[in-house]
Amino acid sequence: MEERIEKIKTEYQNRIQQAQTLKELDEVFLALFGKTGEITLLPKDFSSLSVEDKKIVGPLFNQVKIELEKAIEERRNEVREESYKKLETEKFSLQLPKLQAKERKGHLHPLTQLLQETIEAFEKLGFQQFDAPHIDSDYYNFEVLNIPEGHPARNLWDTFYLDPYNLGSQPGRMLLRTHTSNSQIRAMKQLGTPLRIMSIGRCFRYEAVDARHEHTLDQFEIVYVDKKVNMANLQYLSEYFLKTILGKDIKARMRPKYYPFVEPGAGVDGLCLFCKGKGCRVCGGAGWLELAGAGMIHPTVLKNGGIDPNEYSGIAWGFGPLRVAMLKYGIEDVRSFLSGDLRFLEKF
Amino acid sequence: MKISIDWLKELVDLKAPIDEVIRLLPLRTIGTKEITHDFIELDMKGYNRADLLSMRGVAYEITAITDSKVTFSEPKENEYIWMGQNLPETPVKVGDQELSPLYCIAKITGLKVEPSSKKWVKKLIDSGIRTVNNIADVTNLVMLEYGQPSHAFDAAKVKGSVGVRLAQKDERMTTLDGKIRNFTETDLLITDGDGPIGLAGVMGGKESEITDTTTEILLEVAIFDPKTIRKTANRLALPSEASTRFLHGLTKTRAFQALNALIGMYQELGGKLEAISIVDNLEEKEKVVILTQEKINSLIGIDIPPTDVELFLNKIGFKLASHMTSGNVVWEVTVPYWRLDIEIEADLIEEVARMYGYEKIPPQKLRGKLPEKIDQSLFDLLYNLKTKLVGLGLTEVQTYSFYSSKTINDLRSSDRKLCLRLTINDLVKIANPISSETEYLRNDIWPNLLEKTAENLKYFKEVVVFEIGKAYQAKPQLQEEYRLSMLLAKDSTDPTPELYQIAQEALKHLRGEPWLLGGGKPDGNEYFHPTRFATLEKDGKEVGFVAEIHPRIANKFGIEKRVAVLEIKI
Repeated sequence: MEERIEKIKTEYQNRIQQAQTLKELDEVFLALFGKTGEITLLPKDFSSLSVEDKKIVGPLFNQVKIELEKAIEERRNEVREESYKKLETEKFSLQLPKLQAKERKGHLHPLTQLLQETIEAFEKLGFQQFDAPHIDSDYYNFEVLNIPEGHPARNLWDTFYLDPYNLGSQPGRMLLRTHTSNSQIRAMKQLGTPLRIMSIGRCFRYEAVDARHEHTLDQFEIVYVDKKVNMANLQYLSEYFLKTILGKDIKARMRPKYYPFVEPGAGVDGLCLFCKGKGCRVCGGAGWLELAGAGMIHPTVLKNGGIDPNEYSGIAWGFGPLRVAMLKYGIEDVRSFLSGDLRFLEKF
Repeated sequence: MKISIDWLKELVDLKAPIDEVIRLLPLRTIGTKEITHDFIELDMKGYNRADLLSMRGVAYEITAITDSKVTFSEPKENEYIWMGQNLPETPVKVGDQELSPLYCIAKITGLKVEPSSKKWVKKLIDSGIRTVNNIADVTNLVMLEYGQPSHAFDAAKVKGSVGVRLAQKDERMTTLDGKIRNFTETDLLITDGDGPIGLAGVMGGKESEITDTTTEILLEVAIFDPKTIRKTANRLALPSEASTRFLHGLTKTRAFQALNALIGMYQELGGKLEAISIVDNLEEKEKVVILTQEKINSLIGIDIPPTDVELFLNKIGFKLASHMTSGNVVWEVTVPYWRLDIEIEADLIEEVARMYGYEKIPPQKLRGKLPEKIDQSLFDLLYNLKTKLVGLGLTEVQTYSFYSSKTINDLRSSDRKLCLRLTINDLVKIANPISSETEYLRNDIWPNLLEKTAENLKYFKEVVVFEIGKAYQAKPQLQEEYRLSMLLAKDSTDPTPELYQIAQEALKHLRGEPWLLGGGKPDGNEYFHPTRFATLEKDGKEVGFVAEIHPRIANKFGIEKRVAVLEIKI
């Protein structure tokens, strides 16, 4: 048996060294480790060996097995490195004659589709897009939004902070924005009143990922400041959104909710898409789904934005596109959005 | 906060069935989480309603929304048990009055440690707190009812006078959970003659814990600085029912009521109040906020009659005095002591709106002039690019703004120094990543596309995708910018020209002639094919590149096909 093992070793090491292509190596691999490979089948004959012989043959077999696996892997890398050398001689030209464009069907990401629909709906009401950075300071993300350090509400937004060592900043000052509200003060200061903007994009939360939670998430938010803006306008905006995006029969309902940068604050429920208010599994029997958060902009925030709260009032209103897209398109797992999985994306 | 339904019925003479309470709470007060036959859990995450962290506060709220009455009355100051008793003081030294504006210690003797009664245990279990023994349970029951935490030390184990001060360097103590805690100079300590016996507002010390042999206790009721408690609770990752209440804010009125209730309950257990010290440097003033009819109506958007405003606010404990100013009712509103969250007129308007019922506010179209146009060309470009690329047969993917640990490893060169086109030190690094998967922000998008392509090639013969999103870098200066990244992987020995032509086609209608082809790849860059690489330049500046991925890198990612990428700043 020892001789047999040694023989396999010598024979295959030669074959491995002589292999010139990955294909040949694949063949060698199969001949050894495939279903009927020599290494695969060999242990079947061990049963006839004496206990003493087994003590010698067992470890030898394992050693040879590992050596051969390693030899194939090493030779594979050598063959690859050989082939990489030939790359130097490959030509580079982008000025080829017009290629016959291949017919392919592309797909827009479901979030892009939902957001574009939403953007076009709010454009009709005079809202325009306004961009704010993903990497921001504690000041714009929290301070000026009436969320000073030590405020219990900071626990609402578990925050990723930047490592200050290569930024030259103070620890705990720079962060990944936790919400699109970091646009509010910038928009107020740059654009003044009347103000109707949409702030859209990626936000980040320190949150463990599962089928319902993501650490990287989109937000859509509108900021509306003018004279005599009121909660009845807020109800209008909520209804307008739900009816446009989710269906004419989806009513909106406001509830009290606390966010430090609005007062009064409101949670916005939509009639459950699936049971239309009767109560079902999706809405947990409530008949309503929490779909958006909103409120009348806090006077301190208006002041921080250079707007006189005695003369003007405002609405901040936002929703999570991931959640609404899941409901609208029947997506079960929030991780699908950033999976990059074409089997998922090609459905849209 | 879990509201025990039995306990609620003890405190409120409910005029509505419990199902109605459950229906009304989210519409009038606060969202609910878990609901069972025994309790209703309020969704307190991030909330500022300190009063809802006590059964009494909850009782006031529920009486208002169900038109019921509470069954209890609040004791007057001269009714407190310790008043007029001429008791001796326990020795106390408060080192920092700002960090501990109210500090009371009562010595109670003649106690016997036993299991709590069934009724107490049920209340605790409904509220999500486990029973310990009768002496410790009293502190928890009073905390739940009044919102005021307290702590009982075994008096026999406390030596000399009790003190409150900041920790010194290198001080340490074993906390109730058996862990040794090393303190920093920002931790507020309770001490005796020998050293620390408790971590103020967070957790007591093991050594002075109530045990089966305890007969005398030192009962502590205090108000500590919330910021100090927060710092310590966060640093030691020790959030507790007590620290939550310190953080939300406490009142002197409730603290004295709680102390009174604690002593009363210990007396019922056979205890005797021997001595008491109250170190009170806390000034508690009534808050008065001005509220106007005009502002209520303009902010809510409907006319609410002044009589209703008064009715609503009276129900939840506010007192109002009104006068007329130019045809407009103005109220001086006195805020009940337990509503620490009410500070400005808008806070009162929320109270009026929620008692009226948010859901009854009718929709009203937006009025007023439209704002001036602002430049939307960037957003238009981003969307038009997407639709154009999709029209050319590419599928839009979105990937994380982070590099996965696998991507970082696969892109490290053999000497492990270089990473990507920058060194790893130039990447934006997260100080508190959830795991190594959220440690670095991407400074290019193509590596993420490559990672996803390896997965997709298990199911597809070719992959042609793009992503439009942001890339980030820390050096030379902190920066984020929009990029378009495109990738084509297929059975071809040279996919780059095809990808380049798609890009040209997509971009030509959108931005005129977008770029010129620049030079070859910089030395030492191992990620791209040795000859198939060109920078893309605009106005003499590099804005991107088109290249074939070096097969070595593609192989590392698990891809055997040739892969072309193009990435350009938008």
